[in-house]
Amino acid sequence: MSSDNYFIIKGEDESGVRLESRVLEENIQNAVEAGERNLRIYALGQHAIGGRLWKAGSEKINVQIFGSSGQRVGCFGFPNTYIEVNGPASDDVGWLNAGAEIVVKGNAGNGVCNAMAQGKVMIAGSIGSRGMTMTKHNPRFEPPELWVLGSTGDYFGEFMAGGKAVICGYNPQDEENILGYRPLVGMVGGKVFFRGKIKGYSSGDAKLRNVNDREWEWLEENLKIFLEKTDKKEAFEELSKKDEWQVIEAKSPTEKKGTARRSMKHFIEHVWDRELGKGGLIGDLAEVDRTPIPVIATGEWRRFVPSWENRKYIAPCQGACPSGIPVQERWRLIREGKMEEAVELALAYTPFPAAVCGYLCPNLCMEVCTKKINSLPAVDIKELGKASVSAQAPSAELKKDHKKIAVIGGGPGGISAAWQLRMKGHDAVIFDLEKELGGKISSVIPNSRIPKDVLEAELLRVKKFIPHVQVEEKIDRKAFEELKENYDYVIIASGTVKPRIPGVKGGERIISSLEFLRKAKNQEINPGENVVVIGGGNVGCDVATEAKRLGASNVTIIDIQKPAAFGVEREEAEKAGAVFKWPCFTKEITEKGVLLESGELLDADVVVAAIGDETDLSFLPDGIETERGFIKTDKSGRTSDFNVFAAGDVIKPGLLTDAIGAARRSAEAIDSDSLGIDPDEDIREVIDTSRVSIAYFDPRKTGYSGVKDCGDQCASCGTCRDCSICVTVCPRGAISRVEKGNDSFEYIADPDKCIGCGFCAGACPCGIWIMVPNSPFE
Amino acid sequence: MQADRPISPSKLSRKDLPWQIDWNKDKCTLCGQCTSVCPVKAIELSVFRKREIKVDLFNSSANESSPSVYYGISQKTDPANACIGCAMCTLVCPNEAIMPMHTDEPDKLRYHSNIGGVPRKRGGRRNQVAGILDRIKFMRISMLTDPALDAGRHEFEVRTLLGRILPPEKSIDFQKKNGWMPPVREIYPLIIGGMSFGALSPPMWEGLQMGIAYLNEELGMPVRMCTGEGGCPPRLLRSRFLQYVILQIASGYFGWDEIIHAIPEMKVDPCAIEIKYGQGAKPGDGGLLMWHKVNRLISQIRGVPERISLPSPPTHQTKYSIEEAVAKMIQSLSMAWGFRVPVYPKISATSTALAVMNNLTRNPYAGGLAIDGEDGGTGAAFDVSMNHMGHPIASSIRDCYSNLVKVGKQNEIPLFAGGGVGKNGNLAANAASLIMLGASGIQIGKYAMQAAAGCLGSETDRCNICNIGQCPKGITSQDPRLYRRLDPEKVAERLVDMYVSFDVELRKILAPLGRSTTLPIGMSDALGIDDEAAAKRLGIQYVV
Repeated sequence: MSSDNYFIIKGEDESGVRLESRVLEENIQNAVEAGERNLRIYALGQHAIGGRLWKAGSEKINVQIFGSSGQRVGCFGFPNTYIEVNGPASDDVGWLNAGAEIVVKGNAGNGVCNAMAQGKVMIAGSIGSRGMTMTKHNPRFEPPELWVLGSTGDYFGEFMAGGKAVICGYNPQDEENILGYRPLVGMVGGKVFFRGKIKGYSSGDAKLRNVNDREWEWLEENLKIFLEKTDKKEAFEELSKKDEWQVIEAKSPTEKKGTARRSMKHFIEHVWDRELGKGGLIGDLAEVDRTPIPVIATGEWRRFVPSWENRKYIAPCQGACPSGIPVQERWRLIREGKMEEAVELALAYTPFPAAVCGYLCPNLCMEVCTKKINSLPAVDIKELGKASVSAQAPSAELKKDHKKIAVIGGGPGGISAAWQLRMKGHDAVIFDLEKELGGKISSVIPNSRIPKDVLEAELLRVKKFIPHVQVEEKIDRKAFEELKENYDYVIIASGTVKPRIPGVKGGERIISSLEFLRKAKNQEINPGENVVVIGGGNVGCDVATEAKRLGASNVTIIDIQKPAAFGVEREEAEKAGAVFKWPCFTKEITEKGVLLESGELLDADVVVAAIGDETDLSFLPDGIETERGFIKTDKSGRTSDFNVFAAGDVIKPGLLTDAIGAARRSAEAIDSDSLGIDPDEDIREVIDTSRVSIAYFDPRKTGYSGVKDCGDQCASCGTCRDCSICVTVCPRGAISRVEKGNDSFEYIADPDKCIGCGFCAGACPCGIWIMVPNSPFE
Repeated sequence: MQADRPISPSKLSRKDLPWQIDWNKDKCTLCGQCTSVCPVKAIELSVFRKREIKVDLFNSSANESSPSVYYGISQKTDPANACIGCAMCTLVCPNEAIMPMHTDEPDKLRYHSNIGGVPRKRGGRRNQVAGILDRIKFMRISMLTDPALDAGRHEFEVRTLLGRILPPEKSIDFQKKNGWMPPVREIYPLIIGGMSFGALSPPMWEGLQMGIAYLNEELGMPVRMCTGEGGCPPRLLRSRFLQYVILQIASGYFGWDEIIHAIPEMKVDPCAIEIKYGQGAKPGDGGLLMWHKVNRLISQIRGVPERISLPSPPTHQTKYSIEEAVAKMIQSLSMAWGFRVPVYPKISATSTALAVMNNLTRNPYAGGLAIDGEDGGTGAAFDVSMNHMGHPIASSIRDCYSNLVKVGKQNEIPLFAGGGVGKNGNLAANAASLIMLGASGIQIGKYAMQAAAGCLGSETDRCNICNIGQCPKGITSQDPRLYRRLDPEKVAERLVDMYVSFDVELRKILAPLGRSTTLPIGMSDALGIDDEAAAKRLGIQYVV
């Protein structure tokens, strides 16, 4: 095209002053509007020449630029426009190009084709950094193209989202790297054809491959056009070797996901364990299995395992019974319909199951009953006690190697000792001052407390079973020594026989509670109008009740502190109308009554001291140790003399049941001696009653309708009642009941099924199941 | 508990507990998984009473009242079994029937967590949710004033230096004069702080180390991890992975004879040696690895007999003054590796931290100073130490850095900040704040457990039973029944995720600030806070 056909637009005015970009743009637009289609522009670095020429409509516009073209040549270029920069170009050639064809016959600066969407840019040299960045391909149009004869600067093709770039690598700036540093970061679309060496590209975003035939066809054809337009036809031969070309194209989103790092599993196997050795970090120190276990685990992986602790602990009732009677076991027998066995079981522990358990005992077993501490009525042992009156005395043969034992004292302690020894086949004889056996039970306990026939029946059973020698005189040292010589063992159960009398003025006027009660029982005393009882214990209450029975109008029980009386004794005294008064310090006993330190006088016809009784140990040889008037013994009742035992109040004042229990332990010790074994003690502890589920029992039940009902309602603390609730509750079906023969059974949990949830323990009515830590690993 | 029973002072009801089990009878299938998994046996199957009353006003049928029982999950209320809120029950429940709920008012358990006269001990961090670090914002954004950087597109040098850095002009003279140069390591600025093998379970410790190795060797991130005071497994000491490890020496010196024996066989030098003087969570207090955690494995690594308790006293016995403590220890440990390994002390943040730092500036062998703030975590400490002892990390690090600036050594002695970084999940933001306040690097511990192993602990006192060996995730337990729940491979994977995402987030902070080639250490003009007093104290801008 001859230069004559061009409309000339100069970048300076007539006086040679450079035109502002705004003015040059106005001049170009005016020329186009005026119909000029071939423009030759002599530029002086004006901005964005050649773009926005839509006024020509569909007619072609040819813009030839000479001089220095300025930034953003062809900015917002239109499809009708052809721009030729006759020399190098500044930055951002073809910026936001929307269709223009731009040829630069030299190098171009940074930012070539940035944000280009359509059109074609051809560079006859190399380009600066950030070429072909943020380019698009709008599906409505053909994709944009960038052709570069040489090489690109750094950061080429960042965020390229479409279009084609062809980098020929012809006379590149750096032979070793024609795409510059870090090309194609963030590339999401388009292709880059290139020829020559590169030093990497963003492999997370793009992938490299060979040019395929169809692409080569396009490339070869368009290469010719490119070289022709840029006047570089001579390069064609060098550039037309397909093998030298490669293409980088954007990875698809799904391919990008596929660029995963090396798996940790692989790393561990091939790097970690290879460097450290099998088993990794600590494979040399421990057996290592690094595979995880489930959170809900079975077998050895359970943190806690269930343990069926049947009868491992004793029930609170048994634990509280000083006589050691297995109360709960009796209820079990009742539950199983074995009434006789239940009754006879008691006889193995006490000769007075009816008199003591049924009437005279404060029943500590009921105080601690799990039902009671859970605000339910205690299982009523009195019922069972009363029913025991008919129990038959066991038959007892003397065994071959039996021992001979002298028992001093015919009270509950002595009787219990002899009873136990006889049952075990020994020859035990009771020595007592009284004509009848029974001690305080028969002599001083008021008839109101126990029906005469019950007591007589039990004593009769005892008398039939135990030989009794009534001694004429009190046993003295000499007599004691004789007993020791003639018998293998002596058991002292002589009780407290000496009343304690307050050492106040007029003390001789006082009668002891023992004397009063004995006389009262035989109707041998008249208490008069006013009675004062000094001492507010249970014996004092008995005195008060008896005094009232015998006709006293006013009975006052005084004490220096809050009276300690409890249970039936206290209730009876209160019912009879006795008045408790404290604190009262007795100063003197006058004819009129009791004069207190406070000056108050309590009228009294009879003053009774109930402040306890003392032992009479005058017969005791020096070798037997005592402490504060009581005989010192070990747990089994053995004194410092190996063959002498002591039981009951002579070792410590206590309840009838205390004496019965202590005597039984002495008897057992003697029996064990005879067998040459250690006493078979029940050292089991009392069960933690919080293990027992009491919610199974109806809270509205306020009492029991007889022995059978009691048996049913016993919580069976610590002893399995074979209800199989655990089998039902276990969520894994791990628990089963196993017959063991001899009428016995057990429940077991299958470790392969059990997850250690503890449901068995939570649901067990008797507190048998418990969760214990699984045995520790090393 | 029944109403007609006597109560004792420590008899609590569910209402009094910090965590209350919300159990849904309708949804529960009684599968036993919740009671099986509960780490403190806070829940159990119970037998509940029930009564059904049927009445008929018109007497067409008899009135009825029938008692019965049902089974359900009950919560124990004795302090020893109080629910810790870990929600493992919720995790294993197949039917969404159970979940611990936090009480709506201050609990009463706090007054009874001293049964037997033993004050409460626990793990975790101090129970303080808010923190100053979360309030700091980065407000010097490069809006045309600085080169605009793109976190995704630009390359970043997210690296820091550990060791004594001499300025170029001094270093030549120094080398000439001394024939030696202090060793310096170029490392990633987020370091896993000292947590011992023993405090952590084997899979947790190994998982972290695996992740560290992976980050270094697969992703080119030079991340380092401190051993804590529990020795170092012999295999690690003799492997190339040792270069990623900072060996810690503390007052118990556990495992150090094994380390000494391994020195001749080491393939590489360790990254550095950290001398621990204090811990931010329980400043001035020591540690104790309970005997039941000292199994054969631990005993071998620590070089002690099995099943004895291992105390780390609050103080080192052979140090009598600050001068001596710093000089003597740094000398001995530098010497052990021929002065090729940087050695630096770690102290708890304190108002006297400046004294230590000033001392270090005069010691040419000192390779840095790590300061651990009050929000740091621990495996076991008295509640009182955790909640009430200590100094915030932000002002401590700021004071030290400002002082370094004063003496002109801010580029010479790197400061490392730790203690509650990321405690509300804002790891990168907290780390960047501390870096811009003057830290060269950040130490984390608890965050790694939360992110890499699913630690359930929180500053609202959830779980936090690291001290009793019953960690439900197996992170701090030596019982295989618990720690085998943890897969070291998964720990390593999560750690890698955590680091890679941290790196992205850190760039998202650094790029808008126009920083890409060096960490903006001490770039406090970028920081602002909406609290005037805090702004003044930290020497940053007050913005509202």
